Amino acid sequence: MQTLPIPHVDPMPLPGPVWLFVALLLVVFTLHVAAMNSALGGGLWALWNYLRGRHSNHPYSRRLANELSQMLPVFLAFTVTLGVAALLFVQVLFGNFLYTSSILIGSFWLLVIPLVMVAYYGYYYFSYTAEKGKGIAGCVLSVSVLVLLVIAFIFVNNMTLMVRPDRWLAMYRAHANGWDLNLGDYQLVPRYLHIVNGSVAVFSAILAHLGMRKMKSDEGYGRWLVQRAALVFAGSTGLQFVFGMWLLMAIPRQIAMSLLRDPLAGSVFGLALITVIAGLLLILLGSLSEKPSALVNAGFGCVLATLFLMVCLRYLLRLAYLKPYAHLDALAMRPQWGVIALFLVLFVGGLATVGYMLWLVARGRKASAAS
Amino acid sequence: MNYPHWQLAFPGGLLIGVVAILHVFVSHFAVGGGFFLVTTESKARRENDASLLAYCKRHSKFFALLTLVFGAISGVGIWFTIGLVSPEATSMLIHAFVWAWAMEWVFFFVEIAAAIIYAKTWETMDASSHMIIGWIYFVAAWMSLFIINGILTFMLTPGRWATTQNFWDGMFNPTFWPSLVARSAVCFLLAGIFGYVTLPRLGDAAREKVARWSALWTVGGAVVLPIGLYWYLAKLPLFSHLYLNGSLIGVTHAVRGGLGFTALAVLLAVVFGLAKPRWINTPVVVVMVVCGLGSIGAGEYLREFLRKPWVVNSVVYANDVRAAEVESWQQKGIARTANFLTTDNTASLEYGRNVFQLQCGSCHAATGYRGMKSRVDGWDAAFAADILQHIHVLRGTMPPFAGDETDRKALGKYLASLNDEWHFTITGANRLEIGKKVFDARCGHCHTVNGNFRPLRGTFENATGPQVQDVFPALGSMSSNMPDFNAPADQAEALGFYIAHEANLPLAHPRAPEAPPTGVGHSQLQRPLNPREEVR
Repeated sequence: MQTLPIPHVDPMPLPGPVWLFVALLLVVFTLHVAAMNSALGGGLWALWNYLRGRHSNHPYSRRLANELSQMLPVFLAFTVTLGVAALLFVQVLFGNFLYTSSILIGSFWLLVIPLVMVAYYGYYYFSYTAEKGKGIAGCVLSVSVLVLLVIAFIFVNNMTLMVRPDRWLAMYRAHANGWDLNLGDYQLVPRYLHIVNGSVAVFSAILAHLGMRKMKSDEGYGRWLVQRAALVFAGSTGLQFVFGMWLLMAIPRQIAMSLLRDPLAGSVFGLALITVIAGLLLILLGSLSEKPSALVNAGFGCVLATLFLMVCLRYLLRLAYLKPYAHLDALAMRPQWGVIALFLVLFVGGLATVGYMLWLVARGRKASAAS
Repeated sequence: MNYPHWQLAFPGGLLIGVVAILHVFVSHFAVGGGFFLVTTESKARRENDASLLAYCKRHSKFFALLTLVFGAISGVGIWFTIGLVSPEATSMLIHAFVWAWAMEWVFFFVEIAAAIIYAKTWETMDASSHMIIGWIYFVAAWMSLFIINGILTFMLTPGRWATTQNFWDGMFNPTFWPSLVARSAVCFLLAGIFGYVTLPRLGDAAREKVARWSALWTVGGAVVLPIGLYWYLAKLPLFSHLYLNGSLIGVTHAVRGGLGFTALAVLLAVVFGLAKPRWINTPVVVVMVVCGLGSIGAGEYLREFLRKPWVVNSVVYANDVRAAEVESWQQKGIARTANFLTTDNTASLEYGRNVFQLQCGSCHAATGYRGMKSRVDGWDAAFAADILQHIHVLRGTMPPFAGDETDRKALGKYLASLNDEWHFTITGANRLEIGKKVFDARCGHCHTVNGNFRPLRGTFENATGPQVQDVFPALGSMSSNMPDFNAPADQAEALGFYIAHEANLPLAHPRAPEAPPTGVGHSQLQRPLNPREEVR
């Protein structure tokens, strides 16, 4: 079967069981996507509200843009930090596919690094200047958001190309210098739109949840935020169905069918549909009333569940694409159990340390507000 | 050859070097600077010095902007770059040390969170909590260095891992601790240098205090650094030691550069920081930062060079070829083993270019930095194809050629195509000069006449040009590592004249003639013969 130029797997055995790498990959990638959605979706939200709050008399928009300006660099920091972990685990399992696709678009792929720096510094600049509402803050934010959209496009190119070994040799022969993209792939455009629009949807759900918290201190602002976020969430989720269907149709029929017929994938897909519809209804119902109810928070929980399920589905789609070429079950293994245990202890310790620091922050804010 | 080779106009290794040096510069500051910040804050609070505390706030903002953005993203840049240039080696390291990286990631995660919180909570957190965050940052950052140091040192000195393949043997390898001491010293040294970047303005009460305090960090780092380096040198494998004997010009420049930049940075810190803090100004600070970068650049260049021809000692060569696969590729040939070639026509020049990219592209390009054009000037296709068999015993630090005869011929043809064929009108006036050119092209990669490296004086002392020339037809059969001699007759005549001339020059410091070169030496760490080992 394997007549395509697919690099062989590393001769060294895997230093842990496949299920553990898959589990870690799915968890950290979900967290990465949540952070990425916040950085990109949040950037779009901040841009719109900054422009709206600047040129019209919309104090809530101005306030939201200011608040988001402080969050955007943090979102981007954690997008990168969590992305590193996802990159680490995906290399262990699919290194021979990922390295190859990365090299084939190598020049664009490496361009991601300076582009992230530009976007990141832009977000920091915006965080220092947004409140004044003058100068080039809006332009800088626009550039940052635009750059993030370009980065997302390069990532989608790589992720779609890594499962298409049939395209590799022709691409290499056309552009061995890496100035190439996976533009001929039918799933590229719908997948890109799905991920970008998904960012707006997910971050809108996050904002709806944030609005609920804001209502405790400023009901008017909180309600405005919940209702506006719910509206955008509903619209972008509707669009997400359209892009999702387009993506499903763009995937080769036999792969799409094998995915949907697979009991696990079918269940994940079905469950994701249920959670997203539940999330949509709960957020809409919760936000429509005069005083938004806790249903919004429940809907937000459903959106997070959907995000995790969609990440699982994405993984299963990758497996379906690579079925003829990648055999994870057959990989040699020599688990380093002692080291794995140490990692898990450190992981829990790390989370506890971050939790402790956040507690110190919260305590400090309370004390600061009280004084 | 398992993977496609990213075909650049410059060596891929250069890209790794540039990204790595910039990252190492900032990331070492990120470790030392964290310690610097929290101890300076502690000092300011202890001494109740509002001006010094204001400096800490300003410095933490600069620190966050530089380390969180440039430092962190350039670190990801290394990931991207090594995956693009050396996917085989990256894959090997990932399989051996994924859990080390996973642990490092935990510390990285904590480090990023702490840095953000530290920079943002000067006004909203009480003093002791804020300093706790600072200490958490420093411990996480240093632990991150601790783990990465294990993987980096493993690449040069795998130690017992080579036989046990045990994770801990690989991490705590022979150069782990010395390297950790040296790197920690560099962190403190850089923390001091960067301390000047946000120096309070003239007239500010904290200006002199910060200048002195920063200088102490730089000087302290500079005191510890030689201890770590000396210890590190003592633990280097033999082949790395031999690169330091002065015969490789790049290494010599890097050693001198590293020492010079570091000494200048320390001198400036002593003069302007300790002796005359009032004199310090922006140009001085810029020079200090440039010296810091130069010092890191030289150090990282040396660290990489001392590992040649390996990227992972005994496992993967610098051109991303696994040592275990060389023999198989020499038998089967690249056309049958490489997954990605831009042509199937093994007789074409394009195929030769592909072989060049796969075998040499990590460290060489056709022109420019480590360009081959000047190195192979005077080579014809047959000579190049022949010498490629012996590439690992040449004067440099080359891995063996991993291809068959067809590949060697194709690469030979490509290398020969980089320059025009030599045609000389040899006269009495230019014979010596042309003879030297021919010597450099055909003999100089393996020999000197009067130097330390496989000198020919012992063989040709008292010989005339024609007598030297008489030896040429038999060269190919003299040693398994000698290529056939096939230069045109006029060049052979000039070469014979040159060798005889040089071999009969009076020596400034006469010494006993050495035995003729045999091309046979011992190997180190299962590494193919490298001529540097013969020098010793």
